[in-house]
Amino acid sequence: MAAPVKTLSVSEQIQQLNAARKIVLENAAYYDRIVKGILPIIGPSSPVELRRWGSEFLAESLSTPALSLRDKENLTVSILETLRSLVESPNEDPLVLKASVMAAASAYPVVVRWIIHNSYNVESWEHMTAIKARILRIWDGAVTPVKLCCIKFAQRVVLAQTASNGMEQQKHTGLDISLNMIPPNHPVLDPRLLEAEATGLLDRMLGVLQDNSSDALLVDATLNCLSILIRTRPGTSARIVNSLFNFNPFKLANSPMTPKNKVLVKSMEKTTRMLFTHLVKRDPTNPQAGRLQQHVEKLARSRAEIFDDVNRKRAFAEQAHANHVDAKRQKTEAGPAQPPIQSLAPGPQSLAAAFTLTNNLGLQGFDATQVPAALAARISVKTLATIDQRILDQAVNGIRNRFAALYAAAAPAQPVVISPETAPLGVDEDDDDYEPNFYAAEDTEQILNKLDSAPPEEVPEKPADATSSLALGPFRLPPPPLLDSEAASKIAPVAASRVFGPLNSLEEAPLRKNKTGINRLAVTSYDRDSWLTLITRLATRTTAGLEDPSSEIKAEESASALDRPRMSFSNVIRELLYNYILEDWRRRIEVAVAWLCEEWYNDQLTKRSRSDAPLHYEKCALRLVDGFLSYITSQDKVLTRFLAEIPELSRALLGRLKSLCADPTTVHLALTSLLYLVMMKPPVREIALDTVAAIWVEYEDARPLAGKYLVKWRPGFIESQTQAAAGGDGPSSAMITT
Amino acid sequence: MDVDRENGGETSANPNQNGEQEDTQLFKLKFCTVCASNQNRSMEGHLRLSEAHYPVISFGTGSLVRLPGPTISQPNVYKFNETSYDSIYRELEAKDSRLYRANGLLNMVDRNRNVKWGPERWQDWQIGMPRLKHEKDQGSEGMEGGIADIVITCEERCWDAVVDDLMNRGSPLNRPVHVINIDIRDNHEEASVGGKAMVDLADSLNKVAAEERAKVGASGFDAGGAASRSNFDERVPEVLGEWQERWPTLPATWTLAWF
Repeated sequence: MAAPVKTLSVSEQIQQLNAARKIVLENAAYYDRIVKGILPIIGPSSPVELRRWGSEFLAESLSTPALSLRDKENLTVSILETLRSLVESPNEDPLVLKASVMAAASAYPVVVRWIIHNSYNVESWEHMTAIKARILRIWDGAVTPVKLCCIKFAQRVVLAQTASNGMEQQKHTGLDISLNMIPPNHPVLDPRLLEAEATGLLDRMLGVLQDNSSDALLVDATLNCLSILIRTRPGTSARIVNSLFNFNPFKLANSPMTPKNKVLVKSMEKTTRMLFTHLVKRDPTNPQAGRLQQHVEKLARSRAEIFDDVNRKRAFAEQAHANHVDAKRQKTEAGPAQPPIQSLAPGPQSLAAAFTLTNNLGLQGFDATQVPAALAARISVKTLATIDQRILDQAVNGIRNRFAALYAAAAPAQPVVISPETAPLGVDEDDDDYEPNFYAAEDTEQILNKLDSAPPEEVPEKPADATSSLALGPFRLPPPPLLDSEAASKIAPVAASRVFGPLNSLEEAPLRKNKTGINRLAVTSYDRDSWLTLITRLATRTTAGLEDPSSEIKAEESASALDRPRMSFSNVIRELLYNYILEDWRRRIEVAVAWLCEEWYNDQLTKRSRSDAPLHYEKCALRLVDGFLSYITSQDKVLTRFLAEIPELSRALLGRLKSLCADPTTVHLALTSLLYLVMMKPPVREIALDTVAAIWVEYEDARPLAGKYLVKWRPGFIESQTQAAAGGDGPSSAMITT
Repeated sequence: MDVDRENGGETSANPNQNGEQEDTQLFKLKFCTVCASNQNRSMEGHLRLSEAHYPVISFGTGSLVRLPGPTISQPNVYKFNETSYDSIYRELEAKDSRLYRANGLLNMVDRNRNVKWGPERWQDWQIGMPRLKHEKDQGSEGMEGGIADIVITCEERCWDAVVDDLMNRGSPLNRPVHVINIDIRDNHEEASVGGKAMVDLADSLNKVAAEERAKVGASGFDAGGAASRSNFDERVPEVLGEWQERWPTLPATWTLAWF
């Protein structure tokens, strides 16, 4: 890493050092020599640039994956003294300190391993203990970058001093060095003391979570190094997971949401959720796995509440309005979430109430007549000039609706006489505190006069007898134009696509409801699952038995949906359903299975009634498989599940799996899926085995695994093949691959 | 696509557009850009950051490199680390030169083959392994140590994959790294905008980091409030918050993780 240059001689030295670094990067064998050569010029008395360069180089050298643990042992032991002097030097530069603590974190497990095997070298252990003591002492008071590295140092100490379950994946990184390696009667290291120290350090690390700290850097740094402890140090797992459950990443959300605070809250929440998701995925043996999953969902919900909640945003916008802080940003935030115009409570209402939009009680009580007219005019003009058109429209419409509601409520009660509630038509908005009783004292004529002189307004066209029509007379829609089949087929796709509209907004069904078995109703609630059930049935059943076999075949010929203007409604739904599933097929595989079950069932029913009716199941199944096979990766176990759950498998369908064997990464998936079918679905066992045999014949790479299955399930096959091959050409293999 | 082509022309016409930075900024943060296939968004960022003279490398988090094919169900699929941009370019050109020129794919891969050899997969990256055999890659200068200070992902899913992978690796290097996601939609136009935004973010972060390095000693006369405010790690969220104000259409997420 290049360091800033102050004086020429130092910059020349740094150039030389950079050249030396280049040598070790090219050949790790030189590390030992070059690191030892550099030690004298990077000590505490050197210029700060050299110390920065040196400490950074030490951190890099001790952590490089280019050296084996054994090589690192020599290197680490030789630098301990210098490292100690850097760490212990008072008022050290923060960057030097940060890199030194980083180096110490890499050194710690290596030194522990060294001492386990070389207990005579007490001096090295003394250095390391002194470094540890110093780091743990400066931890609390250090500047943040150093503090972060202190957290990581503590994590490495805990890792080295607790019992491991041997699940570390990379053995050469030193992550596997643990309490297990320390013999109980070691002359220098006392396992019980070390474990006790680790317990204390872990508590200190978790303190930041227990205090619900709002310092996102410390929280993130802690969260991001806990995974390996939970996964490989069972002794720490329960304690860590419990403090995670108690940690509330949203505490900061109560303070004003500055741009920085937003970043911080989002960061802590996302990092917490990532750690949980990671554990659910990577640590399935964790006894608390179920709770972890629940907690992930809980966090996601709280997040949605905090970041999307309408009320919160309104408060936010109002507050911003008051402060005039950063108005532009706030506006975009509050844009879509305007306060809804609430309808009036039943019963008599003041005019002021009808025009009041705010929910703030204090503001509602404000007497607008107190404001001098000139000032009120200025305020009104200014507000009207700057107000968002959408908000104004919404407010106007809201108030219109209120009046409509008032008329509707009042009309039946006083059908002929002008009701006092309608009188305010001529009243200016600024005259507030309208009292219905006061106006009720006026007689009909007075009110009529008033209406005549009123400026044309919302109801200008309505003559005096408007009052009688306030009851909103019956309204009949004009009859729709007649629908010919041309227009119908044009509109069908639009209608079909609207059927899919609610899928985006509908909620997931609540956690597994109790199963009601075969007698359950397909759709009992308005959630996404139910809606999908409805869609699959729309696709399969609506026009079943009505289709014309000849036209069906024609439609099938043309490849793309665009070429088919006259596609039937159910085929449009099928097309959309197919697209819907493929959009996110890994998660929507259940939908695919449900759909295919419906298709299959419907095909069976159709077959019973008509022998020549078009069948859909096979076509849809092949299309779906073709659709997602090209995206499949070796991890996609859903394939096995999909094949196991769809109601019928054909030779053609299983034949599609062969293409997976062209990619070596998916061979295993294809064959295990087939093996599953062989074991669990006896009716298709023969077809599945034929497919395995065909794979064995066609793909060299797949032979070992395919052969294994064939030996077990179709003994004699491989022998007959190899004999046939030995006997010359392979007519038998050609036969099988067809 | 026109946008992309225009930008390509522009940058090759003025290669020193950002060149002034090189003289004024001696300290450089090291960057790593990540998207799904290491083709569009991360490579746009890689190119832009290297043009701004930052050390930079780039990766993809997908299982395979996927490029659009003739239909949605027939993508062009390649292996990471084994396929060069050049061979992808030649294959696509041979397959359907008209189609892939019209949808901008050839133009993009052509740009990429001038940036580095081929798409690399994040999960296969040996963090901290010296990278000396990449001298021809743009932005390779300064990346010899094989580590980055800032990882910028271009999609929430990639950020998740990176953070999850770092947790899985167990942070053997003990080195803090800021992982920042910028949500960029996967098309040429948005990638170009995203690239600009990345350079803006890099400049802002680098300025703060350089300020930190210019300060010497914790116990200087200006210690206390000013000193603690000026440290880089702590100012990252602040810088990101300000950046988000400037780029409100590119939602960002950040965490401090470990290599």
